[in-house]
Amino acid sequence: MYDVVIIGSGASGGAVAYTLCKAGFKVAVLEKGRLMKREEFSKDELAYCRRDLVTPNLFEEYHTIEEKVEGKWVATPTYESGWSFWNGNIVGGSSNFMSGMLHRLHPDDFRLKSKYGAIDGANVVDWPISYDELEPYYTLAEELVGISGHFEAHKYEAPRSTPNFSQPPTKENAVVKLIDKSCKTLGIKSLVTARAVLSKDIPGREACYYSNLCGSYGCSSGAKGSSREALLKPALATGNLTLMSNTYVKYLHTQKKEAVKYAVVVDTITGKEKRIEGKMFVVAAQAHESARLLLNSKNDLHPNGLGNTSGELGKNLIFSGGGSGQGELHKDHLKEISFSDLMTTGLFVNRTVLDWYFVDHWWDGKFKGGSVEFMFEHQNIITRARKNNYSNDKLVWGTELGERVTKRLKDQKSIRFEIFNDWLPNDDCFVSLDPTHKDKYGMPVGKLRVEGHPQDVKVGMYIAKRCEKILEEMGAQNIYSGISSSPSQNLVAGGCRFGNDPKTSVLNKYCQSHDVENLFVADASFMPTGGSVAYTWTIYANAFRVADYIVTQLKN
Amino acid sequence: MIQRRDFLILGSLLGLTPYLKAETPSDFEKEFDSVVDTLSAVQAHMFPEKSLLPDATSMKMTTFLFETISHPAYDRDIKAFVLEGAKELQKREKGKFVSMTEEEKEKALRAYEETSYGSNWLSRMMTLSMEALFSDPIYGSNVKEAGWKAVSSYGGFPRPKTKYIGA
Repeated sequence: MYDVVIIGSGASGGAVAYTLCKAGFKVAVLEKGRLMKREEFSKDELAYCRRDLVTPNLFEEYHTIEEKVEGKWVATPTYESGWSFWNGNIVGGSSNFMSGMLHRLHPDDFRLKSKYGAIDGANVVDWPISYDELEPYYTLAEELVGISGHFEAHKYEAPRSTPNFSQPPTKENAVVKLIDKSCKTLGIKSLVTARAVLSKDIPGREACYYSNLCGSYGCSSGAKGSSREALLKPALATGNLTLMSNTYVKYLHTQKKEAVKYAVVVDTITGKEKRIEGKMFVVAAQAHESARLLLNSKNDLHPNGLGNTSGELGKNLIFSGGGSGQGELHKDHLKEISFSDLMTTGLFVNRTVLDWYFVDHWWDGKFKGGSVEFMFEHQNIITRARKNNYSNDKLVWGTELGERVTKRLKDQKSIRFEIFNDWLPNDDCFVSLDPTHKDKYGMPVGKLRVEGHPQDVKVGMYIAKRCEKILEEMGAQNIYSGISSSPSQNLVAGGCRFGNDPKTSVLNKYCQSHDVENLFVADASFMPTGGSVAYTWTIYANAFRVADYIVTQLKN
Repeated sequence: MIQRRDFLILGSLLGLTPYLKAETPSDFEKEFDSVVDTLSAVQAHMFPEKSLLPDATSMKMTTFLFETISHPAYDRDIKAFVLEGAKELQKREKGKFVSMTEEEKEKALRAYEETSYGSNWLSRMMTLSMEALFSDPIYGSNVKEAGWKAVSSYGGFPRPKTKYIGA
């Protein structure tokens, strides 16, 4: 019998395991995927980005996605569409593959409803905790995960309890000079992006070696602050962690109403089923899968799913709103910097704009906006070569293709912006169980309805227009942007809202089930609203906070 | 959302069945052999000699194509689609595609592209050929990094030590 059984080894599972193991408790981490060690990672574009090396085969494990077609909800399995909602199913989860551009939430993100009022068709509520309660854990995550950056005060930058990052920013491509200058001309403030990538060696992990391929790939120096490198390795070193990879959890079993007794798991290699017993259970399987597991754990005592007396389990799933845009910096029209500096590979574009995080303008109105990250177009070669190979709707091939592709890759580099704004929680965005589809382990798959709120697109467009101006000022050509209401499958949260009222929320303020005392959900599921940045830093921070609470519970 | 299976099957005169039935590797090989010349000819037309990109033949793009789609973990629908689209082309051109002049091939492929089925198939062929040319040389194409050299872009380090097509 373990003190704590954690389901999932990603950012939140790692943070909880780390804290509990350091505090001397016996922990089991159950991970569906296999263990890939640092040495095993490579920059194989085919394997990581075009095949399914790190995610399940969609014919074996999948989701169904509901979309409105002619007024009716139609569910399509992802093996039909190829639209995978898996994000890295190996030890360490999707934190292995993040780009690591991280931000803290702003204090007002914790009280969006009080600050901006209700929005029609959106289920916005305040959080039961404030920024001040989470701040120490943001700081802890910054240190333990290894987040590099440079703090500069900005009206929409969250306050910090320490003056600056202990890791300076990663090295930057000269293009940042052009970005900074262009922003300045337009009266926009460009800030240095905090990144979960080490710029300096620390014990056991080497600084970034600027491989040119970071997001979507595992890190071969340990610089990237994945759960595996930063948290699970030190947790294993305590001797208190039993890491069970290739272990799929079918459901949690409750013998008495208030307590989970054991997890029923399948060894994915042998197919053998067994039970893992624990005093406490922490679900950390990524938002849409965590809700699915609890729904799949329904029994006579919990007929609507585990911890679902509120009926809110799986509801108010959120993604990240926004979109992206890009433009080409051409050899012949380059300002400010040399072409060879621009083409230098590997270095980061650490630039963020927060000027539109909140908008309060005499003409535009007062509303919650979002953040912007600048980056180069992903440097994958196949993807870049394959892009834009149509001329008048005809596929380009032959010698014309040769000219086109070589020009595209040799004579220009595309600079890109990504917009992150709130995905407003609404009644048409949730996860439930598919009534007919089952995965290869015989468990019902998650059915996701993924509608956005019209406000999300409006906000995205507002910011995109302004970002296009920055690219224009930089001298970029062929600028375009796309704001979409389709979900970001790699940024998913909600589904187990936390709150003080058991009638309207699944978890209490410590992310403990209102119904089942020894059950916690530690991943992004708790978030009632998502803020306008990637969730990862908040996931790490909150999981450390939850873990501290579990430690006090276990000590009592 | 695009329903991929419909997308692959619609507009086909032959249907996917014979290829989905080809369960054993030797069955698949037989099917592949019956269209291999057509597949090679299409790739050679897309990636000819005397282009700024290396040509299909010297880059062994058809071998890459075979190794990829014959892998048991490779998407079975796309596998069938590749073979069936080639067969369709053979049929449209009454078995003469391979022996056509470059000009005739261009005309035949552009006509094929006018159909949504043909345009999807050509797009898939382009993707699989690009995957060959620009993936790590360990996969057998991109010989001596010729693909990478042509675009002055290189895969990062560490490089893969083994091929991965599917589990």
